[in-house]
Amino acid sequence: MWGLVTLSASGTPVKIRDVDGRWLTPFQPAARANAIFFISGDCPISNTYAPEIQRLCGQFASQGVGCSLIYEDLPPDVTAARKHLDEYGYRGRGISAAVDGARTIARAARASITPQAVIVDATGAIKYRGRIDNRYAALGKPRPQATTHDLIDALDATLSGTPVPAPETQAVGCAIVPADFFRK
Amino acid sequence: MKTSSRASNWTLVIRLTVMVVAAWYPRVGVAQGARGQTAAAGRVTFSETIAPILYANCVTCHRPGEAAPFSLISYDDVKKRGELVATVTRSRYMPPWHAAHGYGEFADERRLTDTQIDTIGTWVKQGMPQGNPARMPPLPQFAEGWHLGKPDLILEMPVAYNVPAGGPDIYRNFAIPTGLAEDKWVRAVEFRPSARKAVHHSLFAYVRGGAMKDFEGKDGKPGFVGLNGLGLGIGIQPNFQPSGGLGGWAVGTTPAFLSDGQAWPLAKGTDLVLQMHFHPTGKPESERSIVGLYFADQAPARRFSNIGVPSLFGLASGIDIKPGDKGFTIQDSMTLPVDVRIFSAMAHAHYLGKEMKATATLPDGSVQPLIWIQDWDFNWQDRYAYKQPLLLPKGTRIDVSIRYDNSLENPRNPNSPPRRTLWGEQSFDEMGGIQFEMVTVRPEDEAALVAGNLAGTRAAIVKGLQNGTVRRVLDHQRRAAGPPPRLQQITLLNREGKTVATVAEPGVYNQAALSPDGTRVAVIKTDLESRDADVWVFDVTTGKGTPITSDAAPNAAPVWSPDGRQIAYVSVLLDDNYSTLSRKAADGSGNEEVLYKSTAGAAPVLTDWSADGVLCFWSDKVTYAMRADGDRTPVALSDGTFNVRGGRFSSDGRFLAYSSDESGRFQVYARPFSLASNAAASSATKGSPVSTGAAIGGIFWRGDDKELFFLSSPEQAVTAADVKTSPAFEAGTPRQLFKPPNGTFAPAQLSNVATRDGQRFVVLVQLPPVPTPASTGAQR
Repeated sequence: MWGLVTLSASGTPVKIRDVDGRWLTPFQPAARANAIFFISGDCPISNTYAPEIQRLCGQFASQGVGCSLIYEDLPPDVTAARKHLDEYGYRGRGISAAVDGARTIARAARASITPQAVIVDATGAIKYRGRIDNRYAALGKPRPQATTHDLIDALDATLSGTPVPAPETQAVGCAIVPADFFRK
Repeated sequence: MKTSSRASNWTLVIRLTVMVVAAWYPRVGVAQGARGQTAAAGRVTFSETIAPILYANCVTCHRPGEAAPFSLISYDDVKKRGELVATVTRSRYMPPWHAAHGYGEFADERRLTDTQIDTIGTWVKQGMPQGNPARMPPLPQFAEGWHLGKPDLILEMPVAYNVPAGGPDIYRNFAIPTGLAEDKWVRAVEFRPSARKAVHHSLFAYVRGGAMKDFEGKDGKPGFVGLNGLGLGIGIQPNFQPSGGLGGWAVGTTPAFLSDGQAWPLAKGTDLVLQMHFHPTGKPESERSIVGLYFADQAPARRFSNIGVPSLFGLASGIDIKPGDKGFTIQDSMTLPVDVRIFSAMAHAHYLGKEMKATATLPDGSVQPLIWIQDWDFNWQDRYAYKQPLLLPKGTRIDVSIRYDNSLENPRNPNSPPRRTLWGEQSFDEMGGIQFEMVTVRPEDEAALVAGNLAGTRAAIVKGLQNGTVRRVLDHQRRAAGPPPRLQQITLLNREGKTVATVAEPGVYNQAALSPDGTRVAVIKTDLESRDADVWVFDVTTGKGTPITSDAAPNAAPVWSPDGRQIAYVSVLLDDNYSTLSRKAADGSGNEEVLYKSTAGAAPVLTDWSADGVLCFWSDKVTYAMRADGDRTPVALSDGTFNVRGGRFSSDGRFLAYSSDESGRFQVYARPFSLASNAAASSATKGSPVSTGAAIGGIFWRGDDKELFFLSSPEQAVTAADVKTSPAFEAGTPRQLFKPPNGTFAPAQLSNVATRDGQRFVVLVQLPPVPTPASTGAQR
């Protein structure tokens, strides 16, 4: 049933141009699964996760998991996104990135926070939505290190075809502002 | 109370040089709301209502180039993050202020009123209307460059420290020589970090010039780790003297001169030490702080004292917090010997600190609140300055209580699962105290106040010496100043001494023992940071490690149960006069079971656990056997005339092989064994020699009891002798199998050093030392 939300209103698969102008279809994994990361240009918690996102994507790439970064709060012009990708070391790691100016991807995945992760399996069904791990117990309450790794657990379950232990967790970070909010 | 707190907000606003009109906000805002006929009644707008609140309370940090994220200056800035602003103000996470409102009155309190918070919430709910931009308040003016004018001395970190993109928070110290040729008095320290978003706070102290040299660069990076009592005025380390604190800085702090013409002493020739806390930001950052010092022309007329309750941050308060304990509390009091004025309170604890409260009970019995922190956050070590100094008469009792939460409900707990935590200077140790800065009302009372404080400090040191805390802390400092530890690689060798496998990452290991089925290695692993020695089990194939113990006590001598499901080990307890033999499941689950308590001076050493369920250990000169279950009375197997140690049972349990120095040097012997017939300790039962020359232990029976291994001395070669156990014990001529790589094996591989078939041997191969920056420099 979750798979349905990955279609746009017209019934066509959701797609978006990445920062290099290519089409991305984050809800249609090229291989076994996709991990979609909703991130921000200036949300500190979102930025703090950059090394962990890179580590996870590197670790799971060989198992057929693709990674997409979806910027939710940068201007639609990709200059700022490209700069951010360079600064935070995302380039050259086979991680695609797009600016979700119209919040199409966030709406389709029902993402509301950055950073937030969504896992899509090979059939296009959403298997997980939530935090990457529990490093942040709440805003201003980081743990010295994470003690649960929800996204890894969900990816492991998705790849092995077993039920995801906690398919929905609460992400801690910055609220995604709807695009129409800024219409003047 | 209400009126005065509002008054404090006025003062704050004016001090931030915000236009007076902003201070009028509540009245202006309400008036506009009432007359705002163009919108719904009570409608609030950014320009008229929200901007004045933010400009007065938030933009000091939330503006471009400052430490905080998200500029909160323009309408678009704020609208984008409006929901977040409403959430974090509602929860009072922002503005950051950790002292309970109304419990002591503090200058510069960063606090929004309930009305202001409601107003922000209403504005967000109403869709964040902009209002009339012409009515925006002017942006506060912020000083460029040095806040306090040109400093008298500017110091800069000699080299930049690179903050990695990710990983845990970093606490690190940097020493900068002051180059001062004469003693100075410091009125203010202004701190300018270069990586503003990565530096969370910094404490300042000075120590004897060069005193930190031994600590620096241990890990190949500038600076050094460990808190080592800097800036805490601990002074139990004579090598650091002269030393003292110089205040601190945290995100949001506005630099200021000490009040009343006061100043900190700063001795000539000392080094300034910055004790910094970094948050990795997600991208690499480089920090090279600049520090400005402002000197007084002369010694201040009055000396102020910084008095901690309890003394020395609870060194003598018996801090020993059990895992899971949510209510551990320390309490202490001090009675003022003279009339004083208290200027500030600064609380300190580490990650487990939860709640701190201080009150003053005056001689007339009235109680005055001093400070209350309900949810302590190690990241915000603020000095809280009273709005008006508190006048407290002689005989006033200051009571401080500090509660700790060592459960997993405390998200800041650095240990999962929680572990026993003792007093110490590392951030994963605990301490706790509140420091009060005070001046005597009468100059002639100064000496009495200083003497009273010193007496308290001395009493704490004496108690800390008695209960072992001081020894433990000095031990830690000594180790931290020593050469970096050599790492070892757990390695499996074949009978020719060739490496057939390496297990797990290099680390500081000791006393490796193979499980009976040869699939796992139990080993003592010493954590490089905490220096705690715990039992770990590593899977030979995958290298995956599982901690078996995670307590503060050093563990040693792991032995496997015959079925490979449990591990017995020794815990050397720190502050008590006994050690224990305990066992726990080999997968780390469940609780430990204490099998035996030993009060002997030296800790016992476990060496075997037989198929019949008999443990073997030695303590001082004597070797004992003890049942793992049932009657756990140790039975002495030797009488102490000679050293007998390293006992190992044959697989059939009928013989014991051991090392003894009865010939004048250690050699390996074997003799019949039966727990029942051994009651009359039997040095009478003479052992048959196995080794022809000296041998130092490492004894192991092959599973079929047909071969016995040991380490020859001084070559430390793995040596094998063919043996027979039927009808009687008989040993053939030993032959050397191989010499392990340098530095391995010795001295105490006393448990299962080989697989049952005698084909694989576990050793710890010493790796080359990690180069220090100094040695790398010399090579280049």
